[in-house]
Amino acid sequence: MKLHRIGAMAERVLRQLWHDRRVLAFMLLLPAFAMILFGYSFSGDIRGVRVAFVDEDKTDLTASILENLQKDEALTVRVLAPGGDPERLLLDGGYQAVIRIPAKFTSLYYAHFAMGVATSAQGRIDLTLDESDPQIAATVRKSLADALLKLGEGGPVDVQVRDLYGVEVRFIDSFAPAIMGMVVAMISTVLTLLSIVREKVDGTFARVWVSPVRRGEFILGYVLAFGLIALVQSAVVLTIGSLVFHIVINGSIFWAFLCVILFAVGSVGLGTLLSALAQTESQAVVFFPLVMLPSVLLSGMMWPVQAIPAVLRPLSYLVPLTYSNRVLRAVMVKGLAPWQEPLGFGGVLAFVVLTVVAASLVLRQRGRSTE
Amino acid sequence: MSREGAPVFSAKAVVKTFGTLRAVDGLSLAVEAGEIYGLVGPSGSGKTTLMRMLCGLTPPTAGEVRLLGYLMPRERRAVEEQFGYMPQERAVYRDLSIGENLLFFGQIYGMDRKRIAARTAQLLEMMNLADRSRQRADRLSGGERQRLSLACTLIHEADALLLDEPTIGLDPALRAEFWDYFHQLSAQGRTLLVSTHYLHEADRCGRVGLMQRGHLAAEGTPAELKSRAAALSGRAVPDMEDVFLVLTGARQGGAQ
Repeated sequence: MKLHRIGAMAERVLRQLWHDRRVLAFMLLLPAFAMILFGYSFSGDIRGVRVAFVDEDKTDLTASILENLQKDEALTVRVLAPGGDPERLLLDGGYQAVIRIPAKFTSLYYAHFAMGVATSAQGRIDLTLDESDPQIAATVRKSLADALLKLGEGGPVDVQVRDLYGVEVRFIDSFAPAIMGMVVAMISTVLTLLSIVREKVDGTFARVWVSPVRRGEFILGYVLAFGLIALVQSAVVLTIGSLVFHIVINGSIFWAFLCVILFAVGSVGLGTLLSALAQTESQAVVFFPLVMLPSVLLSGMMWPVQAIPAVLRPLSYLVPLTYSNRVLRAVMVKGLAPWQEPLGFGGVLAFVVLTVVAASLVLRQRGRSTE
Repeated sequence: MSREGAPVFSAKAVVKTFGTLRAVDGLSLAVEAGEIYGLVGPSGSGKTTLMRMLCGLTPPTAGEVRLLGYLMPRERRAVEEQFGYMPQERAVYRDLSIGENLLFFGQIYGMDRKRIAARTAQLLEMMNLADRSRQRADRLSGGERQRLSLACTLIHEADALLLDEPTIGLDPALRAEFWDYFHQLSAQGRTLLVSTHYLHEADRCGRVGLMQRGHLAAEGTPAELKSRAAALSGRAVPDMEDVFLVLTGARQGGAQ
């Protein structure tokens, strides 16, 4: 294993990509395009969230809360008579949130203002929230907070939130890690695959094979080139994510990049592996949707793996992006170290080891076989 | 370097089968240092398979092949830097420039950039591609790409060269040019094993193996082969195509 030969392989792959301006542009535009497209589709201004307003206090104060809420374009507020079960309203009434103001809210609100810290009495509002769509939930929280802020003197208000389906994470926050993984997987797998198939078709593979280049050096050369590309792509996603969509990155960028690079290594391995199954470039192209569709649909990128029908769920765990999503979300959203999400991190490591070893075996076969 | 006294290329009773097809069928040959040895025969006669076995790309089914005395493919690591192989496909990176192709192939043989640059200039001069170093391979004509492919084979200055159909698809003038290169290389002390299905090209080789259905139908210098054909047919046979027909026909006649 010689570094200079690995370097030569990587340099050559990068030069080839550099010359193919369309592919190069694609590589840089894809992460930008994916981030912007998905970002806007999922984080566009929300309008008309259906909210039920149950007022058990009926004072001027509660009336002005209602008025403030009604002015908010994000919400469509309907006033309901007291007494209904908030959960039923969510489940059956088609409401995405129920705001209930209990009796005595107003007196407690002013009492607290008058007595300050001397009293534990505090106006309370019950907010029952459908958290299955974090963006909608966030909109309701924000609107309610705004409505209360405009009340002027008084308060503070204790908003008691009951989440029905989830925890509080903005969709876009958990989407950026998925886009990073998807773009890296797509580019690394497909371009490695195409590149090796082309080597085979053109006969350069035979030349490299009889040269001192070892199988490991061959694979590592690709890994090095696509690892670098993966870094650049991740940087594009993160830059657009934070500048345009203000995504929150709670964790370490270092760990995030490390995981992305690991995932790129596995994807290069997968591309090498698939190259054994394709004799021509057009055959190689067929693998593109084969890799992409399960990644997008089953990896938990668009919706949680728990939301995938039970029949298909086992397949989710065969999709590498599932693990990449888990570990990247853990690192970027929850601020954990990769090993604190053992299933995701372990999955990515296993993906790397399995594909690289298998790719190496496939290359050995390839070297021996003949047209 | 070659193991002492060993031929540069040798094959002993080599057989290679693909399913029921015997692509190479009990062939033996030995090519000594400094020779231009022509493997001449029609398409499908086993030339490429023999070449691929000699450079370790595929193992023989039976018999043994050696390169510089080393058993291929088992001992190929010992000789991998000492031979150059030009595959039949115009095996260059289409999306790299001429210079970048040569840079890559130089680098994987451990040459430094300075040496590669010097060698590139020398090769491009020889191949009439000087000043074209920045041109991309996919914009080259067939003949130019073939020359680049040959240059890639020669970049690391190997002494043993396996050239598989290097002149295929070239016009007669270019083919003649290629054979001039081969003689230049031979004059520099290199050993060449060149396959071709253009029977006339046998005349340009030092020694020729006429290949037919996986074995050597005849072997010798062009002059020897011609006189053998003349003796068999009872007339002068100056044309290599006729020589091939007579000698392969004679073998069939002898077998009956």
